[in-house]
Amino acid sequence: MSDTRTREPVLSVRSLTVGPTEPGSAAILSDLSFDLHSHEILGIFAETGGGKSVLSRALANWLPPTLEFRGGDIRFKGKSTLDGTGHSMLRPGREIAYIGSRPQSSLDPTIPVGPQLVEKLRAVRPEISAADARKKILKLLAEVRIPSPEERFNEYPTKYSGGMMQRAMIVDALSTDPAMIIADNVTQPLDVTIALQIVRLLQQLARQHGLSVLFLSSSLSTLNQLADRVVVLQNGRVAEIGETQALINAPATPYTRTIIDQIPRIWRSTAAPAVSTRSADQPIMSVRDVKRTYYVRRPGHLNSYNSVQAVRSVTFDVMPRDNIGIVGESGCGKSTLTRLLTALEKPEQGEILFNNRPFNQMPQKELTAARRGFQLLLQDPYNSLPPRMTVGRMIEEGMRIHGIGKGAGMRARVEQAMTDVGLPTSIYNHLPNSLSTGDRQRISVARALVLEPQLLILDETVSALDQSEQNKLLALFSRLQAEKNLTYIFISHDLAMVRRVCSRIAVMYLGELVEIADNRNLFYSARHP
Amino acid sequence: MTISPAADPSVVLKAPALRERSVGYRILAEAMRNTGFRVGLGILLLIVLASAIYPEVTSLSATKISVREKFLPPILFGEKWSFLHPLGTDQLGRDMLLRCLIGLRYSFFIGVTTVVLMFCVGCALGLVAGYKGGWWDTIIMRITDAQLSVPMIILAISILGVSTPSVLTIIIVLGLSGWPLYARVARGLAITERSREYVRGLRVLGAADLRIMLLFIAPNILPGIAFVAVLDVARMMIFEAILGFLGLGVQPPTPSFGTIISDARKYLINAWWIATMPGLFLTLVLVSINLMGSALEKARNRIYGGAS
Amino acid sequence: MFLVEYLLKRLAQGVVIVFLTSLIIFTLLRVVPGDPVRLIVGGMANDTVVKEVAEKMGLRDPIIVQYGRYIAGVVQGDFGQSYVRPRNGMVVAGGEYIDPTKSNMAPVIDLVVERLPLTLMLAGMSLVFALLVSVPLGIFGGLYPNRWPSSLALLVQSVFVSIPNFWLSIVLILFLSVKLGWMPALGYQGFAYVLLPAIVLAVEICPFLIRTLTVSLGEIMQAPFIDEARVRGLSRWRIVIGHALRNAAVPLVNLLGMQLSVLIGGVLVVEYIFDYPGLGHLTVLSVVARDFPLIQGIAILTSAVFVFINILVDLITYAIDPRVEL
Repeated sequence: MSDTRTREPVLSVRSLTVGPTEPGSAAILSDLSFDLHSHEILGIFAETGGGKSVLSRALANWLPPTLEFRGGDIRFKGKSTLDGTGHSMLRPGREIAYIGSRPQSSLDPTIPVGPQLVEKLRAVRPEISAADARKKILKLLAEVRIPSPEERFNEYPTKYSGGMMQRAMIVDALSTDPAMIIADNVTQPLDVTIALQIVRLLQQLARQHGLSVLFLSSSLSTLNQLADRVVVLQNGRVAEIGETQALINAPATPYTRTIIDQIPRIWRSTAAPAVSTRSADQPIMSVRDVKRTYYVRRPGHLNSYNSVQAVRSVTFDVMPRDNIGIVGESGCGKSTLTRLLTALEKPEQGEILFNNRPFNQMPQKELTAARRGFQLLLQDPYNSLPPRMTVGRMIEEGMRIHGIGKGAGMRARVEQAMTDVGLPTSIYNHLPNSLSTGDRQRISVARALVLEPQLLILDETVSALDQSEQNKLLALFSRLQAEKNLTYIFISHDLAMVRRVCSRIAVMYLGELVEIADNRNLFYSARHP
Repeated sequence: MTISPAADPSVVLKAPALRERSVGYRILAEAMRNTGFRVGLGILLLIVLASAIYPEVTSLSATKISVREKFLPPILFGEKWSFLHPLGTDQLGRDMLLRCLIGLRYSFFIGVTTVVLMFCVGCALGLVAGYKGGWWDTIIMRITDAQLSVPMIILAISILGVSTPSVLTIIIVLGLSGWPLYARVARGLAITERSREYVRGLRVLGAADLRIMLLFIAPNILPGIAFVAVLDVARMMIFEAILGFLGLGVQPPTPSFGTIISDARKYLINAWWIATMPGLFLTLVLVSINLMGSALEKARNRIYGGAS
Repeated sequence: MFLVEYLLKRLAQGVVIVFLTSLIIFTLLRVVPGDPVRLIVGGMANDTVVKEVAEKMGLRDPIIVQYGRYIAGVVQGDFGQSYVRPRNGMVVAGGEYIDPTKSNMAPVIDLVVERLPLTLMLAGMSLVFALLVSVPLGIFGGLYPNRWPSSLALLVQSVFVSIPNFWLSIVLILFLSVKLGWMPALGYQGFAYVLLPAIVLAVEICPFLIRTLTVSLGEIMQAPFIDEARVRGLSRWRIVIGHALRNAAVPLVNLLGMQLSVLIGGVLVVEYIFDYPGLGHLTVLSVVARDFPLIQGIAILTSAVFVFINILVDLITYAIDPRVEL
């Protein structure tokens, strides 16, 4: 696809500089220059917060009022789109279409999907009749492989899954026959498998419709799957531009090299699976034939229920210092299993033993005491901490509940835990509002650590973080394991991540544990898709 | 928490104090930047101080009849006005300003006490219903619905109409008929809070339900409701006035806005100020309370909104 | 099918609520001091008459028996008869003895039905006035937060919410009716008599509407789909009218249901002041006269209206936003 270089580029960006409207503030994008050729898929890599959204918004004429063009030019099909006063004259949605990273919240939740897509098409191209627009949308919905588009057309956005909604948004972008598409982190909110489908679909559609695609992502491995060329941004500047393969195999700048080194690769056997240090001890936790069914009110009916077997006959043991990973797609029963493991819910059948004592036989008091031994770290660092409470007080809370430590002794322990997880003790009295996601997760870790648990259950704990933060936190976990003799259960949809840190991996599928094996063995003899 | 003798008490004691001050202080500071808040606060302070001090120091009486001074118009109106009676005098020659200030004492007292009562009853029930769910929820909410479906005023006047109104009965009746709204709001918020991740985190940490409710959920949802409660003080003061107007409020000769205005209707044409001045006075007080209430609410949202 | 099932369920719940309400009111009226019989027969009657009448009417039976008898009547559509109002509509002069057990007293249901249309007209007009003022203020306040339209909206709500309705009524009567003679004020002799009370009521409702509209519209305008609609190529006008307002209407409609009791409370006071012969007026008079059957009847009716309106509100909300759980 690189035979079009000689023709004029669809989009050419020259010394583009964008920054906040506040005078004197630092620019977010400075002196960016690159070209997008026709029929090309150009990948743009930047870390989270590295200016991807600002760039895509600038190109789509969608800058928020707080940002402005400071200099440079954006030329679309040879014509400048900026007027002299620093405003874009581009008609949004017509020639340059945009697909974002928030498919689930991109459409009005109170109106069915189809009519909204038609509304957009007719708003941008009023010459198309309502009937034609409907036909066109239906055709495109079929093209992006949305099953039974006629029915789906009249369904509300909340009925669409994340992947389906992203397909609908692709239809939304394609419907006006644009010349190019800006795809801003479109795979970020999706499961790995769904993300891959979306990437393939975009690739195929771009070829069929003769589109140029600007694909912005913070995952170099995703770009590797589809981009012809890649632009690497560092701090809002171009660090490197090159053919994808060449760039990945022989990065020219040290920055690119560090990025590439951070990519977890499930195919790279040199990333040795964590050595199992299993001993012949008693298991810390054992799960015996556990079953849990939910009854959900069937939509549209008052007294009929659907039963969902969220977890069926799951059995496994967790040995001391043995890191177990539990992986599966969303909806496979992982979160139910988490609730069972943490004794927030009782299984209908089977039992869970912690240090050889079954949960369901413990009296309330004993269960509370036992909770010290196993702690849960949650996914969402924004919602998992009690709001409006200072950092120190949050970490103390566990000790207060269990009545450990008093006065200055408590404070000393809290500060020790903060130091252990790499938080400065100076933020003891701060509210966590201004902390980064990584630091917030550290608070959760510290909060669990003050209780001196034996077992940490990590429910997607690092998935909300970007690659480099993830690495730092994983490093922290392995250091803590060495220092404090911890055992981890990692629950995640991210196979690659789990693969790096776990000695044994269990795969869940539709509520069942379909495979449990040593890390090394699993992928070479995978028995299940 | 107890402090072991060996520990340095200053370190430990400072921590919670610092936190309280920093957040509460920031909200107040934020609200102070709002012009409406400053104006409201100024007016309210002035009037509240006046109603606390003036009736005690003045030689005038709010109840003594003085025929010679009846129907004096307020300052700058008509011919016979005097600085002694800035809001004029009524049909019995009593000073209007003094009567307003004393009326305000009752009105304010009833307003605040009623709201505190409503707040406590409503939020406690709502919190339990929302957090516990199940039967707790069903029973509490059905009672709430029933109570809510009879407009407060019908309930209040029915009860007060057949019993003898006094400050205490007024507070109880208003408080007991006003709690359902608080219960509803508290329940809604408690349900949202209950499903938040941090509650799951706390439960795994080992916290009991009561601890989560009182230490975490309550401090999270109550301030939000408390700020609305500031606005409700104004509403209850109006309510008290309405009851007085209907003859079901604080009984004469104690001056109350409602009774003053109700009595003055007879003299509306000749002495318009007797009916209008107390209303204007009350409106001024209520506007200042409302301005402060909404400024506080805004400030709180901004501080907690995570914008900082 | 689903909707029918839902409606049946809600109506059943509604009946329970109305039932509870009637029980509360009935009990309250009878436990508070004050003997209704004394009132019925007049102050002059001797104790034997009091006793006789009380027994005849069953007013000395246990409360639960009285309630059972009452509710049995209600189920058959009989809300009892007024204690003090004869059929011809005039209130009995004090002391004159009319045997309340006879059928020459007005049935509660007639009294209520007769007044209802006037009150509905008043409520409707005031709602129209209130929407006329608060919708534009609320929309512009919500669209331009931190600019003058939102300050104006805030000021209007702060002032309106602070004005006591009875005082405003008096001031309006004084200026618009007495001094300027623009509108008639007291009684009811035609449509023009609705205007003044409706304005007073509108002032009372406005603050809630403005507040809800500004807040919910302000929130919706921050929603990602509104932001994204811009890059999808929709015009601002289309975004605001077609999507933002639609979403902001949900809390507004809900509020109307919730604030119904404020409206009813206002109706009561305003009708009383303007001598407007509606239900509110009737309520105040019946409370003053301790006319228990009438108070009960009105309370049951209002709570039924409340239940009905709230079912309606939920249906409308569901029609606008299908995510709302029924």
